[in-house]
Amino acid sequence: MTTELNKELLLRAYRMMRRIRDFEERVHVEFATGEIPGFVHLYAGEEASATGVILHLRKEDYVASTHRGHGHCIAKGMALRSMMAEIYGKKSGICGGKGGSMHVADLDLGMMGANGIVGGGGPLICGAALAAKIKRTDNVAICFFGDGGSNQGTILESLNLSSVLQLPAIFVAENNGYAESTASRWAVATGNIADRGAGFGMPAAIVDGHDFFAVYEAAGEAVQRARSGGGPSLIEVKVNRYFGHFEGDQQTYRGPDEVKKLRETKDCLLLFRGTVTKQNLLTDKELDQIDEEVKNEVEDAVAFAKQAPKPQASDLLTDVYVAYA
Amino acid sequence: MVHGQKRPIGIVANPESGCDVRRLVSCASVFPTSEKVSMVVRVLAALGSFGVQKALMMPDKSGIAAGVRRAILSHSATAGDPWPEVQFLEQRIEHTADDTRAAVRTMLTAGVRAIVVLGGDGTHRVVASECGATPLVTLSTGTNNVFPDLREATIAGIAAGLCATGEFDTSEICRRNKRLNIRFDNRHEIALVEVAICRNRNIGSRALWNPDDVSEIFVTFAECDSIGFSSIAGLLRPTSRDAAEGCSVRFSHENPVSWVSAPIAPGLIRNMPIGLVRPLQLGQQIRIDADYGTIALDGEREIEFTAGDNVCLSLDREGPLTVDIRKTLELAADRGLMASRISHSPNP
Repeated sequence: MTTELNKELLLRAYRMMRRIRDFEERVHVEFATGEIPGFVHLYAGEEASATGVILHLRKEDYVASTHRGHGHCIAKGMALRSMMAEIYGKKSGICGGKGGSMHVADLDLGMMGANGIVGGGGPLICGAALAAKIKRTDNVAICFFGDGGSNQGTILESLNLSSVLQLPAIFVAENNGYAESTASRWAVATGNIADRGAGFGMPAAIVDGHDFFAVYEAAGEAVQRARSGGGPSLIEVKVNRYFGHFEGDQQTYRGPDEVKKLRETKDCLLLFRGTVTKQNLLTDKELDQIDEEVKNEVEDAVAFAKQAPKPQASDLLTDVYVAYA
Repeated sequence: MVHGQKRPIGIVANPESGCDVRRLVSCASVFPTSEKVSMVVRVLAALGSFGVQKALMMPDKSGIAAGVRRAILSHSATAGDPWPEVQFLEQRIEHTADDTRAAVRTMLTAGVRAIVVLGGDGTHRVVASECGATPLVTLSTGTNNVFPDLREATIAGIAAGLCATGEFDTSEICRRNKRLNIRFDNRHEIALVEVAICRNRNIGSRALWNPDDVSEIFVTFAECDSIGFSSIAGLLRPTSRDAAEGCSVRFSHENPVSWVSAPIAPGLIRNMPIGLVRPLQLGQQIRIDADYGTIALDGEREIEFTAGDNVCLSLDREGPLTVDIRKTLELAADRGLMASRISHSPNP
C-alpha cells in the first residue's frame, strides 16, 4: 500500500492535530474556573494517534473511545461548538448536555462515544464490526483503549471474539505509560501490550505515537487489512499525555521535568512541522494560518458554550428510551 | 572445566525488537517480551555453569529487566545451579537506540569479555556502532533477521561462558564482519547487512517492507537462504560473509531486465524487477543520487534526504567481531574443556 500523503491530506492532518491540541489546552484553562461540571481527562500530547488512525476512516466507520475521548471525537469530525457545549453540560451540546466529557457521542458520525468504563469500547466495536460483516459492507470499527484498559477482561474478550469471528476490527492501545497513576511497566504483565496479539492469533505492531507518519502508516495497513476481509489487528501506540489523568491530578508519580521535556522533544505538532517544512511539502506560513484559524475556532466554541442555555428540569424525561417505531 | 578469574559478560536485550509494522503486512510474528526474558534466563544459566560471576545488563521499562529480576528471585528461592550476579546498569532510559549505545559504552568501561545481544539486525547495528573490539554473541529475537543467529539461547550462553574463560584467542573464535558506512552531512551511520534507498519521503513507522518503495539495495553479504531484502541479492549473486566484496542490486520498476522471486519478509514473497546487479568493492565510494527519499539501514528507515544532500556509501571490513558459536564449541570439545566439566559433574 502506498503511504505517500498529498498536500491536502497533510493540511488536514495538521489541522486535525491542532484542533485537538488547542481544544484541550483551552479546556484545561476553562476547567480551572469551575464552570465545567464533572471530570475531564485531556488528550493533549496524543494527537498523532487519533489523527493517524482516523484519517483513514470514512463517516460510516465506527470508533469507540475512552474516558480520554475528546481527541477521537474531534478527529472523527465532531463540531467544536457542540462538543464544547456538551462538556459545559449545556442544552446545545451534541448530547443535550447529558453526556458531558466522558459520554460525548455522535452516532451519525460513527462516533460511539467517549466511555467512562475503562475498556468498555471493545465489546461495542465487536458489535459494530459484526454488523459490518453481516451486512457485507467494507466498514471497519476501531477501539481505542489505554494501558489500563488493556488489563480489563472486556478488552481481552473482545480481542478473542474479533479474532474468532475475523471481524473488521482494529484495536488501538494508546499506551501513555500510566493507568491513572500506576505505571504500565509495573501493571502490564507482558511489558508490551502488542505481545498479547499473538495469544489471540492476531497481527500486532508497536508504533511511535509522537510521529504522525508512523501511526498513519501502520494504521493504513491495519484498516486495509480489515476492509478487505483480513480480520482484526492490534496496534500499540507508545505515547505520552501532557496533563494529569484528570484535571486536578497532582501527578506526584511523574518526574519533575517529565512533561516539560516531552513538550520540548516529542511534541507531535512540532515534529510534524519540522518534517513537512524541511521536505518543502508545506510552508510555515500555511501552518501558521491553520494555527490562527483554529485559535479563533476554539475561541468561538468556548463563547458558544458559555452563552448556551442549560437543560431544563423537563429535559430529565427526554432521551431516556429509544423509540423503535 | 576451566577455572580462574572470569571477566563479566554484557547482555543487551532490545525491548523494541520483533514488534514493528511488518507484523501487520506480512506473516511475521510478534516476539514477546516474556520470551526475551526467558532467553536471558537461559543465557544466565549457561554463564553460571561456566563460573561467570557477573553479568551487566541493559535496563529497560518494557518488562525485560523486570522479568529477569523476578526470575532471579525465583531462582534464588529454589537454590538451583549458580547464576552470575546480574548488575542492571544505572542509566536514564529514553526508549531510543541511545539507551543501547549508553549501555554498551558502560559495559566496555567495565571490561566485559563479550556482549550477548538479543535483538534484530537493527539492534546489532546499534551495538556494533559502539562495541569496538569487544566480541558479540548474537541472538535473533524474531524471524525477520539476517545478521544474528536464530538459535537456542542456552548454546549462545555456553559460547559466551567459554569466551569469558579466556581460553581462546579472539582470532580463533571470532569473525570480523563487513559493514556499510553511510555519510550524510556530518553524520556517520553503519549497516551490517544492507542499505536500501527508498522513495518514501518519511521515516514513518521505520520498517521496510514495500518493494515498490525501494530503488536500490547495497549488501555486505547475501545468502540465498536468508529473509528480507538482502535475499534478493542472495538469489542473484550469493556473497558470503567472508567474501572481499559486497553486492548491489538496482531495481527497475519501469524496464526490468529480469525478475527474481524473493522472500522479502516472512510469508511475503515478491517478484522483484531487476535492473542491474553488480559487486560492491571494499573501499568503493558510492554517491546516492535522488531528488528525495529515505535510507533504510538493516531494514529500518533511518535517514530522510532531499536534493542537494550529500549522501555517500562505502564498504569496509571494520564491522564488529562476532563469536562463531559452532566453532567455539568445536574448539572447546577438541581441547577437552567440556569433557573436563562433565568429569566434575555429580550427575551420572
